[in-house]
Amino acid sequence: MANRVKEDKSVLERSFVIGIYAFVAIFALLCIIPFWLVVVNSFATESSIKLNGMMLFPKEFSLYSYQYTLAGKQIMNSYLVTVFVTVAGTCLAILITSMYAYVLAHPKVKYRRILSFMTYFTMVFGAGLVGFYILIASTLGLKDTLWALILPYLLNPFFAFIMVSFFRTLPYEINEAATIDGANDLSIFFRIIIPISKPVIATVSLFYALQYWNDFYLALLFIDDYKLHPLQIMIRQIISNVNISSYVGGSQTNYSQAVPTYGVQLATVCLTIGPIIFLYPFIQRFFVKGITIGALKG
Amino acid sequence: MSFIREITKNKYLYLLALPGLLFLIVFAYVPLSGHLIAFKKYRLADGLWGSKFVGFDNFKFFFMSSDWYKVTFNTAFLNGLFLVFGLGIALLLALFLNEIRHALFKKLAQSFIFMPYFISWLVVSMMAFAFLNTTDGMVNRTLEAYGAEKINWYLKAEVWPAFLTLIYVWKFAGYYSIIFLAAITGISGEYYESARIDGATRFQQIIHITIPLIRSVVIVLGLLGIGRIFYGDFGMIYGIVGDNSALYSTTDVIDTYTYRALRILSDFSKSSAVVLYQSVMGLVTILIFNQIAKKIDKDSGLF
Repeated sequence: MANRVKEDKSVLERSFVIGIYAFVAIFALLCIIPFWLVVVNSFATESSIKLNGMMLFPKEFSLYSYQYTLAGKQIMNSYLVTVFVTVAGTCLAILITSMYAYVLAHPKVKYRRILSFMTYFTMVFGAGLVGFYILIASTLGLKDTLWALILPYLLNPFFAFIMVSFFRTLPYEINEAATIDGANDLSIFFRIIIPISKPVIATVSLFYALQYWNDFYLALLFIDDYKLHPLQIMIRQIISNVNISSYVGGSQTNYSQAVPTYGVQLATVCLTIGPIIFLYPFIQRFFVKGITIGALKG
Repeated sequence: MSFIREITKNKYLYLLALPGLLFLIVFAYVPLSGHLIAFKKYRLADGLWGSKFVGFDNFKFFFMSSDWYKVTFNTAFLNGLFLVFGLGIALLLALFLNEIRHALFKKLAQSFIFMPYFISWLVVSMMAFAFLNTTDGMVNRTLEAYGAEKINWYLKAEVWPAFLTLIYVWKFAGYYSIIFLAAITGISGEYYESARIDGATRFQQIIHITIPLIRSVVIVLGLLGIGRIFYGDFGMIYGIVGDNSALYSTTDVIDTYTYRALRILSDFSKSSAVVLYQSVMGLVTILIFNQIAKKIDKDSGLF
């Protein structure tokens, strides 16, 4: 009798484990399939997509979509805009955020609680779209400039608090020792704190970079000039089929073949996610660490 | 006096904080004055201070129309769905991933599940379009292959809460499951060892050890979500649905509504009234739920 109970339990236990593996495997596949579809079909011929729809394994291979997309001027323009905004924005943002967070975490600073509250308050009571729009568009006059894409994201309170919680874990003795050696707070921060804070700086930089790279909200609000359209807005225009030919192709392509509508959409998407997918294996472990720090202490 | 002394004593530290502080003042506090516009009839030429004061007219206008109920309901309803299913599935994934002993499988699965977090909403919208578009979408092709009628999903408002929830879970399950996993790995192994000695099955260990011990993380994440229940993710909704008015009845949220009022109708005053309504509702919710959370579990409050 006792034997039988034990056997039942192990069968139950085993099917539970199999169920777990199956659930995770299916979920993981569902996550990856859309990526696969987009990438694989960007290399398919337009006619085969029109005929069969998007397929997991298209039969005909073609680079025409990429040739067509890359022939236009817009993709280069948009790439430059996005890369510039991402690089400049991330560098500036990480500098400002880390300096600010360091002060919020510093026990010597008497007003750090007030500063923390000021920062936290902006998270719970927002100014909202209208005040923000008027500030950027009329008060600062940044419409149709790259500044409108960079400035608004320079200090994210949530990211700042992730850094604050990291800086708090640093031993204060470092500070005291450096002060005795005659260093002031500026040199302590730049020469000692920054080099030992690489993990959190890497993580938060990646959060910022992702935000800048993927954003279309700011461009949607403030950029009407085609020359300054970042990649994300380019995707939007191409998906909604507004004037594909003004964005890609251009005069040097021959018009004997039709505009590869799907091809252009898919190729543009691939070109946009490309850099992220290539970076992904390298940044994943930083991300995991960073999220962990932020979530458990922040 | 003590203020000046403190500033001069730590002048370099305050210097470090200065750019960040200036940023907050310019980009977060100055725009608060935009809420004033809600009480005015705003004209660009007259500016914020010169425009005529009209009291609560803009609010009356908003509350008299049926819009206010629709967008408030949609915002709270969609966010509620995202919160329940987003956190629920992520928790399930984290619990399951934690039970997986096969290292390569675990790593691969985790990488795949995390990947959607990295792409923009417009890329997601392109993927959704590949599945759902009327002529060549995979769903319709499949329906057709089985002899069923094609469906124009972009005209069927009633299915979109489900679609958006699916998309949300797809994009964020990996991100949240990592937070949960981090909390789970923080649990001491001794609990599990003694449970195994007592003959607890894996399922029992999950129910009686893992879940109770990560409760506070779940509550905090839930609270953060509830605190933002009146804020729609503009990037998500607008990225996927766009200006498709056929879907407004179920997908128009406060954020897309104010965007339209501002950018398409150029009605600054109406838009601003809606924004102020949203901010106040958001603040009240977060205060109420913070109190509730502190009642349930002393350490779980946000502040």
